[in-house]
Amino acid sequence: MSAPAHHVDDQWPHEPEKATLEGRNKVIGFWLFLGGEAVLFGTLFATFLALRNQIGDGPSAAELFKLPMIATVTAILLVSSLTSVFAIQAMHRKEVKAMLNWLIVTVILGFCFLGMEIYEFVEYVHEGHTFTTSAFSSSFYTLVGFHGAHVAFGVAWISILIAQVRKKGLNLVTAPKVYVSAIYWHFIDVVWVFIFTVVYLMGKVG
Amino acid sequence: MAHTVKRHRGIMDWLTTVDHKKIGILYLLAGALFFGIGGIEAILIRIQLIKPMNDFVDAQTFNELITMHGTTMIFLGAMPIILALMNVIVPLQIGARDVAFPFLNALGFWTFFFGGILLNLSWLIGSVPDAGWTSYLPLASVDYSNSHGVDFYTIGLQISGLGTLIGGINFLATIINMRAPGMSFMRMPMFTWASFITSALILFAFPAVTVGLILLMFDRLFGGNFFYVPNGGNVVLWQHIFWIFGHPEVYILILPAFGIISDVVSTFSRKRLFGYSSMVFATVLIGFLGFMVWAHHMFAVGLGPVANALFSIATMLIAVPTGIKIFNWLFTMWGGSIQFTAANMYAISFIPTFVMGGVTGVMLASAPADFQFHDTYFVVAHFHYTIVGGLVLGLFAGLHYWWPKMFGRMLNEPLGKVTFWLFWIGFQLTFFIQHFLGLLGMQRRVFTYLPNQGFDKMNLVSTIGAIMMGVGVILFLVNVVITSTKPKNLGNDPWGDGRTLEWTIPSPVPEYNFKQTPLVRGYDAWWKEKMEGNTEMPAAEPVGSIHMPSPSILPFMMSVGLFVAGFGFMFAKDDFGNTALNFLFGNHLIAAFGLLITFGCMFLRSVKDDHGYHIEPEELEQKGVKA
Amino acid sequence: MTAHDMAPDNSKRRHRHEGKQKHIIAFIFSIVLTLIAFVTVASVGEVNPTFTVILLLVMAVLQVVIQMSYWMHMKDKGHVLPIVFMIGGVIIAFTAIVMSVYWVWW
Repeated sequence: MSAPAHHVDDQWPHEPEKATLEGRNKVIGFWLFLGGEAVLFGTLFATFLALRNQIGDGPSAAELFKLPMIATVTAILLVSSLTSVFAIQAMHRKEVKAMLNWLIVTVILGFCFLGMEIYEFVEYVHEGHTFTTSAFSSSFYTLVGFHGAHVAFGVAWISILIAQVRKKGLNLVTAPKVYVSAIYWHFIDVVWVFIFTVVYLMGKVG
Repeated sequence: MAHTVKRHRGIMDWLTTVDHKKIGILYLLAGALFFGIGGIEAILIRIQLIKPMNDFVDAQTFNELITMHGTTMIFLGAMPIILALMNVIVPLQIGARDVAFPFLNALGFWTFFFGGILLNLSWLIGSVPDAGWTSYLPLASVDYSNSHGVDFYTIGLQISGLGTLIGGINFLATIINMRAPGMSFMRMPMFTWASFITSALILFAFPAVTVGLILLMFDRLFGGNFFYVPNGGNVVLWQHIFWIFGHPEVYILILPAFGIISDVVSTFSRKRLFGYSSMVFATVLIGFLGFMVWAHHMFAVGLGPVANALFSIATMLIAVPTGIKIFNWLFTMWGGSIQFTAANMYAISFIPTFVMGGVTGVMLASAPADFQFHDTYFVVAHFHYTIVGGLVLGLFAGLHYWWPKMFGRMLNEPLGKVTFWLFWIGFQLTFFIQHFLGLLGMQRRVFTYLPNQGFDKMNLVSTIGAIMMGVGVILFLVNVVITSTKPKNLGNDPWGDGRTLEWTIPSPVPEYNFKQTPLVRGYDAWWKEKMEGNTEMPAAEPVGSIHMPSPSILPFMMSVGLFVAGFGFMFAKDDFGNTALNFLFGNHLIAAFGLLITFGCMFLRSVKDDHGYHIEPEELEQKGVKA
Repeated sequence: MTAHDMAPDNSKRRHRHEGKQKHIIAFIFSIVLTLIAFVTVASVGEVNPTFTVILLLVMAVLQVVIQMSYWMHMKDKGHVLPIVFMIGGVIIAFTAIVMSVYWVWW
C-alpha cells in the first residue's frame, strides 16, 4: 500500500482525536456506546425475525418490497459512509476545507436516504401496511424506523459539527467530535447492511 | 487559561455538581429514598400476610405493592446505592482525579432519579403498575391492565435505565483510561474489577430491556402488535427479552457486593486477598455466563427438553466460579488477624448466607425440580437470600467501611453491631422459613391464603422477622444522624489497615482527590508502601495546577425534559375534561416540549465548550494547611 | 493536565497518512458483495431459498467485517478494547437472535 507522506504543521498530531485525554475518553466511550447499540439493534432484529411471518390480513414482505428502491437507498448510504471516511482522512491531514466538503456531501446523502425512506413508508401505508396491521408490520416499522431515527440524529449531529468547525476551527477539541460522529455514521451503515439483508432481501426470498 | 468559574452554593451546588464524590452522595440519598419506599411496601406486604384471610389491603393493592416493591428495590433501591459506592470509590481506587465523563455522570444520575420519581408518582396519581415486576404479557397488555399503571412502569424504567446505561459507559471508560501510572488491570482492587465487569453487564443488558420496554410501550400506547396474539404477536417473546436483560441484571446487583466483600474481608483480616487472579477470572466468567442462562426463569413455559437441559447445565456451571470466590474469601480469612468491625461482620455473615442462596439456586436450576418450586415461596426465599443476604449485606459492609472516606466521620461501631444483629436475625427469620412455606405449596404473588394449611405460624414468624429488619434499617438511619453531629477529625487511613489508594488521601476527599497522581508499584498499592516503611505514596508527577470540569445545570434540565416528555406520551389519549389540557396532551405538544428541552440542552452542550477551571498549587497548599 | 497524560509525542515523527485507495477498494468490495446479494434475490426461483439465505448472510457478514476493519479503523492498532466490546455486544445480539429463531415459536 503506497502511503504518501504528507507534511502537516508540526502542531497537528498524527491522530488528533486521541491527542488529549478528553479525546481518548470520547473515542473509547463512544465505542462502548456502540457495543450497547449492537445489543439494541440485535434485540430489534430478534423481534423482527420472530414476528416476520405473522402478516395477518396485511400484505406480505414479498408483495411490498421493491428491489430497485432498496438498491438505491443502499447505494446512497454506502457512498455516504465512504465520503465520511474521506472526511476523517482530510481531518487527519488538517485539510479543513476538504473535510467540511466531505461532511456536507455525507449530510446531503443522509437527507436523500431519509427522504426516500419516508416516501417508502408512505407507499406502504397506502398499500395497507400500517404500524397496527400485524405483528410483522409493527416489528418492521420499529426496526427500520429505529434505524431511520439514528440516521436523522446523525444528520442533525454532523450538521451541528460542520457549523462548529466553521466557527471555532478544527482543533483538538473539535477533532474528536468529528471522529466519533464518523464512527457513528459507519455504524449506521453497518446496521443497514443487516437490514437490507435480513428485512428486505430475506423478505423477498420468503 | 485559569479563568474563574461561577461556583454555586447550597442547593444549586448539588443540582449542578459534576464532582463524582458529590454525585455518589446524591445516588446514596436517592437510593435511600427509594429503598425506604420499597421497604415500606415490603412491610405492608408482610402485614397483609401476617394471618390467613387478612383484609389489611385488597387484592388489587397487594398486586400493586408486590409490583412496586420488586421494581423499586431492583431498579431504584439497589442500583443507585451500588452506583453511589462505585462513584465515590472507583476513581479513588485507581488513583484518578475524576471519572472519564463528569458531565455524563451527572446526567446519568438525574435521568435515573427522574425516571424513578416518575415511576413512584404513580402512587399519587392513583394508577399503579400491577402486573408484577416482570410485567408479563398478556396481563400487562391494555386488555387486562387498562389503567396507566404499566405505562408508568414502561416509561419510568426506560428513563431510569438510560441513566444507568450512561453510568455504566462512564465507569468502563474511567477504568480503561484514567488509571494512575503503574495501576495495571491486574493490580486493580477487586471492587474496581467488580465495578468494571458490572458496568460491562449494564452496557450489554440494559439496551435489551430498553427495546423490550419500547415494544411494550408501543403496544400499549400506539396499537402495536408485538405481544398481541390475535394479530400475530407472541407473549413468550416478552419473557425472553425481559430475562435476557433480567438475568444479567441480578449479576449486575451481586458482582459489586462480591467486590466489596473481597476488599472488606482482606482489609480486616490484614491479609492479601487469597487467589486474586482466580477472583478476577471468576468475576469475568460469572459475567459471561450470566448472559447465557436467562431461560431458567422460563422452565415452566415449556420450551422443551433440549432447551431446558441446556439452560439447566449452563446455570449449574455458574456455581463453579461462585464457589471459587467463596473459598477465596475463606482462605483470605484463614490465618489472618480478623477484626470484627461492623463492616466485617456484615461481610463475613454474607458468606454463609449467600452460599444458601446459591445452593437453592442450584436446586432451582434443575428443570424437573423447578416445576415443583416454580412460583412458590421457595423462589421468593431463594432470591431474597441472594439479594438481601448477598447484595444488601454487601452494601451495608461497604457503607460502614467507606463511610469515613465519604463523610469524614466514622459510623458508631457498637450501634452498627446492634443494627447488624437485628437486621441479620430479622432477615433469617423472614426468609429462612419461606423455603418451607414454598415446599408446602404456598404460592407467591397471591394476596392471601386459607387457614389450616400449615402456613399460619410460619407467615407470622416471617412477618415478625420483616419488622425486625425494618427496625434494623431505622437504627442504621439513627446511626447516620448521630454520626453527622460528630466532628470531622479522621486521618487518611482511619481503619489503620487500608490497603488501597483511597486510604492515602484525606477523609473526606478534597475535590481534586489526589494532590499528586500516585505511582502504583504493586497490587494493594498502599499496603505495599506501608510494608516498606513509607508514610505516603510515591508521586508520579510534581505538584502542579489541576484542571477541573465546570459545574452545569444542563444534566438536570435534560432529565426534566425526559420526565415531561414521559408524561406527555403517557396521557396523550386521556380526557382531562379541559379543552386546553386535552389540546396540549392530545397533540403530543407536551411530549414535544419535553423532548425539545432535552435536545435543546444537548445542542447547548455540543456547541458550548467547557474550559473548566484550574486549582493552582498555592491553593492546594492553603487547603493542606486547613486540613 | 488532568490525569497522567501518556499520549505519544507525535510531533517529531513524520506524518504518514494512508491514501484514499484502500478505502475505495473497500467500497468496491462492499458494492460487489451487495450486488451479489441483490442479483441472487432478483433471480429467486432459480436458486434454492435456503442456499440463498445462507449466501445473503455470508455476504452481509463479509461486508460488515470489511467496513468495520477499514472504515471504522478497527484493524488499526489501539483498537483492542473496541474490538472486545463490539464482539461482546455482537455475542449478546447473536444470543437474542438464536432465541428468537428457536425458542419463540415451537
